[in-house]
Amino acid sequence: MPLEAFQVLSAALFCIGLYGVLARRSAVLILMSIELMLNAVNINLIAAAAHMDQTAFTGQIIAIFVITVAAAEVGLALAIILRIFRNRSTVNVDEVDLMKW
Amino acid sequence: MGGGLDRPSMDLAELAWLIPSLSFVAFFLIVLFGRFLPGQGAFVAILAIAAGFAMFWVVLGGFLGAECPDSFGQKTCTFNREWFTAGSVVLSWGIIIDPLTVVMLGLVTLVALMVQVYSLGYMHGESRFGWYFAVHALFVASMLALVLADNFLLLYVVWELVGVCSYLLIGFWYERRSAAEAAKKAFITTRIGDVGLLLGILLLFKEVGTFDMSTTFAAVSAGEIGEGTLTAAALLLFLGAMGKSAQFPFHVWLPDAMEGPTPVSALIHAATMVVAGVYLVARAFPIFEAAPDALIVVAAIGLITALMGATMALVVTDLKRILAYSTISHLGLMMLSLGAFGYTAAIFHHLAHGFSKALLFLGAGSVMHSMNNETDINKMGGLRRVMPITTLTFTVGALSLAGIPIFAGFWSKDEVLLAVLDHKNYLLAFALIAAFLSAMYMARALYVVFYGELKAENNHVHESPWVMLAPMAVLAVLAVIFGFVAIRITEAGGIGTFLFFNYPHGFEFNTGLGVGSIILAVGAFVLGWYIYMARRISLGPWKVRFAAAIRVVGNKYYLDDLYQWGVDRVVMAFSRFVALFDRVVINDKAVNGPGESVRRSGLNLRYHVTGRMYNYAMGMAVGAVAIAILWWVLTTST
Amino acid sequence: MSEPLFVIVAILTLGGGLGVVATRNVVHAALFLLLSLVSVAGIYLLVFAEFLALVQVLIYGGAIIIVLIFAIMLTRSQEYPRISDNPQWPLAIVAGLAVFGVLAASFLWNLPPASEPEGPGLAKIGESLFTKWAVPFEVVSLVLLVALVGAIIIAGRAGDRE
Repeated sequence: MPLEAFQVLSAALFCIGLYGVLARRSAVLILMSIELMLNAVNINLIAAAAHMDQTAFTGQIIAIFVITVAAAEVGLALAIILRIFRNRSTVNVDEVDLMKW
Repeated sequence: MGGGLDRPSMDLAELAWLIPSLSFVAFFLIVLFGRFLPGQGAFVAILAIAAGFAMFWVVLGGFLGAECPDSFGQKTCTFNREWFTAGSVVLSWGIIIDPLTVVMLGLVTLVALMVQVYSLGYMHGESRFGWYFAVHALFVASMLALVLADNFLLLYVVWELVGVCSYLLIGFWYERRSAAEAAKKAFITTRIGDVGLLLGILLLFKEVGTFDMSTTFAAVSAGEIGEGTLTAAALLLFLGAMGKSAQFPFHVWLPDAMEGPTPVSALIHAATMVVAGVYLVARAFPIFEAAPDALIVVAAIGLITALMGATMALVVTDLKRILAYSTISHLGLMMLSLGAFGYTAAIFHHLAHGFSKALLFLGAGSVMHSMNNETDINKMGGLRRVMPITTLTFTVGALSLAGIPIFAGFWSKDEVLLAVLDHKNYLLAFALIAAFLSAMYMARALYVVFYGELKAENNHVHESPWVMLAPMAVLAVLAVIFGFVAIRITEAGGIGTFLFFNYPHGFEFNTGLGVGSIILAVGAFVLGWYIYMARRISLGPWKVRFAAAIRVVGNKYYLDDLYQWGVDRVVMAFSRFVALFDRVVINDKAVNGPGESVRRSGLNLRYHVTGRMYNYAMGMAVGAVAIAILWWVLTTST
Repeated sequence: MSEPLFVIVAILTLGGGLGVVATRNVVHAALFLLLSLVSVAGIYLLVFAEFLALVQVLIYGGAIIIVLIFAIMLTRSQEYPRISDNPQWPLAIVAGLAVFGVLAASFLWNLPPASEPEGPGLAKIGESLFTKWAVPFEVVSLVLLVALVGAIIIAGRAGDRE
């Protein structure tokens, strides 16, 4: 498969994730969409490393780090969501707007 | 430049700048340290003036002995020092000493000294005693600087300063509404004239390139300036003179200026400030001489003023106002004389009038001081029984101004009439009428106030203290002898050989004219005696027949009403418009406008901060897309 | 041979993704996410990155999905939201399509040279990870530590703060 196919797939998945971030109401759902975006980026990195960087495979190493950081981030994000839920008994991001005008 | 070999005399004349400076210093000392000085500063001021008077004699001696170049026939010494240079314009401090300056110096210092000594008694117990003397000192300094100034710019500066001092002194009792209004009126009316003065000065500057008077006069006599420009410049300068010297139609401020203390009226509004206009015309006479049309205007205005002042003086019952209108009338006579090429006559009359009118005002002040500031002459009468010395001095002054022989006023008025006869004899009839009227109103004032029956309620009135009587006595003596001194001042004879324009002339006496004026003056006094003293002639029927005329004159020819209408309709409307423009257009729109619009736009823009993250994320996405497209456009279009 | 495989896996991935962003039920969304992530592991296999496929399944499918489901269960509110979408969802569709357009255009503008994918093999990854990328490796482990501690602090109960 040519590299472009993987790249376009990655772009599509990224945009799906972007839509989810922009259009969903629950914080947990937004978090899942962010995971989609991160995975899309990983696909791109790994496919590019496999096709073009066949001596050092830098992209794949970086993909490992991305997965790790994504995991850490999910943990923290969920902690925050739990906290907000405890204070407001909702995870609706519409209602977390204290910083508005 | 005083290029002389006679160094000692030169230096003595050069010291003339000390005379105003001493009073300037006195002003500052009194203002700063008045509380700690003896008499709250009064003695400092008197000391400065006395020193000035002494310096006058020194300067006179120095001037007579000095060698200076001639200007229009007269010895003229100038000294100046460069002040600063702006481009091609050089501004300098300088003094000019010629016979005109010398006689003015003498007049101002002497009368100022007399008035200040008098004020010690008159203003005794006043709460702002020190401030009075401070402004007095400043005024004297400015007036002296005015007569010494050798360039028009310096002249203008001290001209304005003199106006300011007049304002401060007229409004000395500013708690009184009428005094504050009078001061304002004086200042504004003269200010209008001052605009003309400034324009005239600038016009001359444009033509000649310098403010220096000597250079300007030299340029005029060399014929470098066109006659039209000269006439314009002369008329503009005369505008300034009209304002300060209360010529028609700017005379309206002088009667109201009587709200100020009487010594102030004596000094400023009789002998010194109001003659600044006469001085200006005399000083700038080379310009006027080269523009004969302007001189006709000067003479005409002077005559109108003389007649108006004289007629109004006959109608009013306030003693100070009689004297004020009399001053207006005599100023008109001086201008008339100048307009008729009577340079010497005008200045001579200026000096005689100065002594006499100051004397009269001091006498009026003496009466008011004893009668608890009463000024209505109908409430007075027969005061010679209780105030003999005041009566004597007042009589001397009145006779002098009326033109009775042997007094100074007679000689000077005669000279004026002579000049009119010589050069503008079509005005002689009017001048004689003015002369007659001046005797008439003086007689009226004299008889009604001092002669006749003493009213019962005035029995307690007593003579004024010596500190007030002594200056009056000095001035009275001067009023008597000055005439003789002036007509025989050098061995050649006559003030005409000392102070003249272009050519000296001895004292001429036209017998017919002299006799005629004597008849008029004496006749006026006789007529007055019949009317006011013997009561043989009653004014009743005359008042009925001329009721309309009397009403017009009594209302000051409705000029004040006219001006008030003009101010209300024109000036106030314009100022309302300007205020509106300033408030709405400039303040609200231009100054507050941008601030307001920022605030309003901020109020509307803040709604984009919704507080919701997905909105912000949308912004980021849109922004990223926009940047990508922009980058693509930029890189592919090059 | 790999093409039909690619297509299938791609469809699974994208379908799972669409499921995540379109469904109203949160639990369904989590399951769709699981599907998508496992399909992504399949893609890794298609480019011969076996180790990464393994890691993907382990971490994402094993840990992250579980955590997400825990969170879902813990944050259930009494009433289900009727609408699970934002007011700005039409605009989001437009934005998504725009970004896809930009990205696809940039990928397809300059095509890379054709090549066959190759997998590095575990040995190579390990060697690279512990020599050239050793420092980032240690830093990432620090990141994990910090995230761990942070999560405990943020989500701890009020009394657990000490």
